[in-house]
Formats: sequence, C-alpha cells, structure tokens
Amino acid sequence: MVQNKKQKYIFLAFCLIPTFVMFSIFTLYPLFSGLYFSFYEWSGSSQSREFVGLNNYIKLFKDEIIPATIWHDYFLVVTKVIGIMILALFIAVALTQLKIKEAPFYRIIFFFPNIMSVVVIGILWMFIYNPSLGLVNSGLEIIGLEKWTKPWLGDEKWALPSLVLPSIWAGIGLFMLLLMGGIANISKSTYEAARIDGANEWQQFWHVTLPLIWPQIKISILYIVITTLNGSFIIVQVMTGGGPNNSTHVMGSYLYQQAFKQYNFGYGATIGVMILVVSLITVLLLQFLLRRDKVEY
Amino acid sequence: MKRTVGQLMARTALRVPLFLWTVAVLYPIFWMFLGSFKTNAEIYSNPWGLPETFNFQNYVMAWTDYNISTSVFNSLIVTVLGAILCLILAIPTAYAIERIKFKGSHVLFTLYISAMMIPMVLAWIPLFFLLAQLNLLDNLVGLAVVYALSQLPFTIFVLTSFISTIPKSLEESAAIDGMSPYGILWKIVTPLTMSGIITVTIMNTIQFWNEYFMALIFLQSEGNYTLALAIDYISNEAQYTNAWGTLFASLVIAIIPVIILYAIFQRRITKGMTEGAIKG
Repeated sequence: MVQNKKQKYIFLAFCLIPTFVMFSIFTLYPLFSGLYFSFYEWSGSSQSREFVGLNNYIKLFKDEIIPATIWHDYFLVVTKVIGIMILALFIAVALTQLKIKEAPFYRIIFFFPNIMSVVVIGILWMFIYNPSLGLVNSGLEIIGLEKWTKPWLGDEKWALPSLVLPSIWAGIGLFMLLLMGGIANISKSTYEAARIDGANEWQQFWHVTLPLIWPQIKISILYIVITTLNGSFIIVQVMTGGGPNNSTHVMGSYLYQQAFKQYNFGYGATIGVMILVVSLITVLLLQFLLRRDKVEY
Repeated sequence: MKRTVGQLMARTALRVPLFLWTVAVLYPIFWMFLGSFKTNAEIYSNPWGLPETFNFQNYVMAWTDYNISTSVFNSLIVTVLGAILCLILAIPTAYAIERIKFKGSHVLFTLYISAMMIPMVLAWIPLFFLLAQLNLLDNLVGLAVVYALSQLPFTIFVLTSFISTIPKSLEESAAIDGMSPYGILWKIVTPLTMSGIITVTIMNTIQFWNEYFMALIFLQSEGNYTLALAIDYISNEAQYTNAWGTLFASLVIAIIPVIILYAIFQRRITKGMTEGAIKG
C-alpha cells in the first residue's frame, strides 16, 4: 500500500511537474516579472537598468497619449459589441426561426472569417479602404457621393472608425453560432404557447427568444470585450501601426511602440500593467452589470 | 392565405440581408484570389473585375523573389512543433487533473484556466529577455515553445472535458490486469481521447499558422520570418514597389491551408471554438 502511494505520487509528479515548470517559466514568471519591470527604467542593455520607483506610473498619468489609447480601446469595444451583437442576433434568429433550406451554407460562409489570420484580414481591408483602388471609394463614386470619398485609414478622424468594420466582419461568425446554440435549446412548446396567447413573431422575439438566450448574449458580450481589450492592437498594428498621428493607437499597440520600437521597456511594462488592470476592472464591472436572474418558462 | 403571403414576403425580405452579408464575406476573398492572377497594370485599371488572363507570374515572384518558400517552411516548422509540444505538455496534466484525486487539483485547474483571460502583452516584454538569455530569441524553436505555452491552458481545458467522458471502468480493468498508470495514460486514455486531441490540434494549428504578433516580437532576421511576417513585410514594401499582385499571391498561399482544414474539419472547428468561448 505504501509502495502504491509512492507510485501514485511519482506518476502524479510525472504528469504535472514538467508541464507546470514550463508554464511557470514561460507564462507565470514573465507575468510577474512584467510587474517588477514596471518599477525600472530600462533600455534593454544589462547595465542601464535603474530602479525608479513609481516614476513610470507618474509618467503614465502625465502621458497625453495614454487617455487617448484607452478611449480608442473602449471605442472599439463599444462599437464592436453593438455591431456584432445586432448582426449576429439577426442572423442567428433568421437562420434558426425561418427554416431556410440553405441555412447551413450561410453558417459555413459566415463563420469562415473567424479563422482567417489577422494579417490577411488587415491587408485585405487596407485594400478595401485604399484611396485610389479601394472598394469603398469607388463604390461611393458610383452612387454619386464623391464628396464622401477620403483616404480612410490616412484620415485622423476616420481611421479608427474604419477599423471597426473589419473587426465586425471577422468576428460575427462565432457569436452567430453561440446564439444559434442558445436558440436551438428553447423548446418548441414555448413558442407554441406564446403563439396561442396571440404573440406575433416580433413579440415572440422580445418576450421568448431574447430572455431565454440571455446567458449566451452575456457570454458573447463578455467574450467580445475581453478579446478586444486583450487583442485589438493586432489589427491596429497591421492596418495603421497606430497612426496617423497616434489617432488609432490602442493600449497594446502603444506598449509595442514604447517597448520594442523606442526601447522603453520599463515604461512598456507599466502600460502592460495598466492593460491588465483596465481589462480586469472592465470584466468585473460587466459581470456585475449583466447579471440577471436566469429565466425559465 | 393572406398570412402565408405575408410570411412569404417577410421571409424573402429577411433573405436580402443574409444574401448581402454573404457577398460582403465572400467578395473580398474571391477578389483576393482574382487579384493574385492580375498584372499590376490590371490591378490599377480594373481593381474589382475579373483578370483578362490567368497567369501565375505573381506566384512565381512571391515564391522565389520574395522568399515565401522559406516563410512557408518556417511557418510549418513552428506550427507542427508548437502543436506537438502543446499536446505533450497538456495530455498528462489534463489526465491527472481529471482522473487522479490530489490536493490542489482544483486550484491548479483554475490557475491554468485563468491564464486564458489574462492579457499576455504584459508578459511579452520579460519573455523577450528570457528568450534572449536562453538563446531562443530569433529562433523558430523558441517561437514554437512560446506558441505551445500560449495555447496550453486552452488545450488542457478542452482535453479535461473530453477525458471526463471516458468511462472509468476501462482504466480500472486495465489496472486490475496489471497495467502501469503510464501504460493506462498512453495506451488506453490517449487513444480514447483522440477525437478531442484532433479537435484541439486543428485549432492550435490554425492559430499558430495565422499568428502574427508574437512572431513580430520574437523573430528578427528575415530568414526566420513566418508567413504572417513575410506578408506584412511585402505589404509594407508594396507602397514603394507596387508589388500588389505578389502580395495577393502570398495572401492566397497563406489562406489555402486554412481553407482546406476548414473544408475537412468544419464541424470540429466550429464546435471547438464555440465551446471554448462558452466555458472560457
């Protein structure tokens, strides 16, 4: 029995320890080390590291670009949540409730952009926005709105809104499927009962579908918010690099610029800590705001 | 009768947005394929139409002059190595967490899972210096290790839920027959979890093949560029060289393996991703 127990622990160690060591080295250590870096000023070479206390954080609060990057991140979060949820909800309801024969075809097509590389998506959309070759400007010219044509990604006012469309385009499929899963779980008899009570299709949507798929809606919103705050900088980096004139910098792309372009690694780490704090606070707040008792009929 | 006509109208009306969104999704992708066969002059004179003739000149240019061949090879190495390493690390841990009773198993699982929600940008700065110290910076093996660890929590998460569906009796009878726990893990549990292993590996493969930002930070020399970096490089250069056709050709080269995987494993991919989102 003792032998057995010893064997069990050896086996357990074999299963857990190598993985956990690797996880500690390449995930946990860098995360905590990042926190530690944020108290140093460091340009990368070993001699130049200098403890500066809270100086980086003071710099963070004085940096005029920082509030702009946070605002840009939230702009993307809000527009993406609204755009994706409305479109995904519409598509999900249409594909499940209308009994369209070609629904699987739509489902397969709409999901595909979700597994495309951000680089491919970004470059494709750079073309769509291209001032001389792009689809947007030539489309506007065709319908006689030449006044509206502009160098979308090169325009300080329009560059950030222009990033929303590719993000929605690429994101809808997943949330469409999530919501369709929720709708599929609603029993037919619930709709039957609603119909007998005289609810039209619009009322059925508001009073049956929507409350019953609230868990899926909540998950979708949270997921969009987390992935945007943690990853919006990738499409920004590909499409605009933060420009023109910092008008599209989000927190992550500003970190990249500070740390890996200007070699302010300490300050970059401070921005990283800020990203962590901002996204944690946002997620906790959202969970609080979106809580709602589970509805069952 | 009136009602059915009304419903028919409504149904048709609702199809219009579905059709428009289909066009919005497919047209840019088709257009990318078409562009890859056009000459530069054609791209300028007729950016949105069909090419006059299909020539493969752009592909030849991309493959040889722009070293896409090297990048495809690099991406393959990183993707395959990363996916294998991720499995080797994840399978034993997933099995132990799901099937062996030990103190702290729940804490360990929570620790791995919460790593999925943490923004890893913060970790990339120290990771950069760590890799430099280990001589793994600007190194494909180093990038593969980083990739494997980045998908480790998700992989553990998916595999534990698959392992939980295997009936325990199979392991118990194997143990009574005198099989060691190692034998049970590799010869009984692993084959029975194959469906989950395939699902998660396909998703990791697509993820690694597409990945851009970590490659941007952790690779430096052009000879090590993965496909995403090479394409980004060509795209930045194209502003001066106007090599748009070549750019399109390299985009097509990058997307074709993803299309093939999607065509074969569409159900697994969509199921894996939605479940990952729900539980994560």
